[in-house]
Amino acid sequence: MNAMIPLIVIIPIIAALLLNLFGKNNKTIKVIAFIVGIILPILTLITGYGLHYFGGHQPLSLSNISGLPSYISSTGLYNLHPAITYNFTSLSKVFIFMMGIVVFLSIFAYLNSEKRASGPFLFLVFMGTASVSAMMMSDDLFNMYVFFEIAALIQTGIIIASKAEDNYETALKYMIIGSIGGPILLLGIAILLAIAGSVNITDIVNIVNTSLIRSPQTRPIVLFSFGLIFFGWLYASGFPPFHVIKSSIYSKAEPYAASVLQGMSLLTLVAFAVVMFRIFGKLNLFKGAVLLISIMAMVLGVSMAVMQTDFRRMIAYLSVGELGFVGLGFGLGTRFSITAGLFQGINELIVTALLFIGLGAVVYLTNTSNTRRLGGLISKNESMAIMVLLGGFAMAGVPPFNGFRSKFMIIEAALNSGFPEISVIAILVSIATFFVFVKAFYSIYLKPQPTDLEFVHETIPRSMVFAVAVLLIICIVLGLYPGLVTNPIAELIGGLL
Amino acid sequence: MIGVDTQLLALLTAGALIIIGLFAAILIDNLIKKIVGLSFIEEGVNLFIICLGYKEGGVVPIFLPGMDSNWFALNSAYPLPQALVLTSIVIGASTLAVMLALAMVLYKKYGSLSTSKILNHKTDMGDEE
Repeated sequence: MNAMIPLIVIIPIIAALLLNLFGKNNKTIKVIAFIVGIILPILTLITGYGLHYFGGHQPLSLSNISGLPSYISSTGLYNLHPAITYNFTSLSKVFIFMMGIVVFLSIFAYLNSEKRASGPFLFLVFMGTASVSAMMMSDDLFNMYVFFEIAALIQTGIIIASKAEDNYETALKYMIIGSIGGPILLLGIAILLAIAGSVNITDIVNIVNTSLIRSPQTRPIVLFSFGLIFFGWLYASGFPPFHVIKSSIYSKAEPYAASVLQGMSLLTLVAFAVVMFRIFGKLNLFKGAVLLISIMAMVLGVSMAVMQTDFRRMIAYLSVGELGFVGLGFGLGTRFSITAGLFQGINELIVTALLFIGLGAVVYLTNTSNTRRLGGLISKNESMAIMVLLGGFAMAGVPPFNGFRSKFMIIEAALNSGFPEISVIAILVSIATFFVFVKAFYSIYLKPQPTDLEFVHETIPRSMVFAVAVLLIICIVLGLYPGLVTNPIAELIGGLL
Repeated sequence: MIGVDTQLLALLTAGALIIIGLFAAILIDNLIKKIVGLSFIEEGVNLFIICLGYKEGGVVPIFLPGMDSNWFALNSAYPLPQALVLTSIVIGASTLAVMLALAMVLYKKYGSLSTSKILNHKTDMGDEE
């Protein structure tokens, strides 16, 4: 039992409630948000690995209770988990820590850029952080579903809270799709409950892999359940056919919010991908379906990014394409490939946040994200422009940045698994990403400034420059020392396999 | 026999609710009817989960003083689905509330509940330019 583990979820929830309570007191909410923003990554870092059984209800086999009836002690009931269990592993630690950093920097940039902070907006950010942290740690499928739904509501709330045009329409569209995707995911979980008798993931993995997947009677039911959960996963992650609405969500949000939103989608993707891999990883269908959808995401993401004239939407589509690399790791299904995919996930979390905040500075200056109306912005802040360019290089996979390391690992994993075609697609997508980004960079920063371009602010807030600089440093550090992330993840994945 | 039929009927009802809900959510243009359809899907899934815990001739899963534990284990309904559905209903209610609030705001803006009118009023709604 590790009592620190639930604090990673409880503290942001309490902070969110306090922020909502003191929503009208600008100074108080700024102080609370700043302090909790710092505490979250530190708390994640100092918390030790382990399990937490809510209510202290651990499996009976661990409790040493004597005199139990034979229908418990002599059956599988003896090993079942009776309560919600959180499992804090190296994977959870790395992802929640990085999410904490992104949330802190986004909040920091927001608090210093806006004269008046919004309590409800900060409430949504912290609730969202709590939701995805819980998903990363939970060993209970239903608990994951609850936080999945909360995260979906939070994402809608963030869009509603933004000042973008058509934000209500986008929010409604997302809710309608979510109201189909959510119950379908729940139905998949319910079917697993029906055949396994538990919603604890470890229990389900044991029961499915030892008997249900082998029996001709139950195998089709397991496959059906996989199909339903897979559908919910596509919706939550923004994989095709949901890439358009997901990109729309990112582009409608404020830059600080978009960086948090993409982090939420990414952590949801990873959490459910790991669970699906544990439960359904032995099905050939799992690998085939994940590979197919990942390649579709990569190709569609980058090809739709090419057509965009709104740079926020362009980054959104590029980030969907990058998600495909994460999926590839799971689809290939080896220890090396999954480690590479997860490493790519971390890198994408950092790089996309960097680009959303960095290019958000352009919106702050000009109040537009249309590349046709922009130009010559390098003169406003050269250092920011260079950092954004380097962030784009990191996303495209240019050495020595982190994106290069993870993409190289994925390409290597595809070759090792006997899929040279996938390696070729991955390389082509990376090259296309590079060109899309350079074209956008030229349009925004280098081409002559249009005469009708008006500025609503003259300078970029230092907090934004600081946030982007920190994220860029992380990109470089992870590019030079990838072992900081890959070693603990590889160890855990080895255990899962 | 009656118990088996009850469970089967409830499962069929759950299936019907999900299919009708999907039909309404995808094909009906009126926003309120679409939201009702989405609610049907949610409730269909809830009913399905409730059915999982059903036990023919079973008792309420509350262990009372004086009960024999072996008898209780064999005769009580499975309580886990009931606990899950309770949470699921709360989530469904929250989602419904947000969707209805959005419907009100959009009705004031467009003077119509036609989803196609609301969502396709501009070509770039969620699509590339």
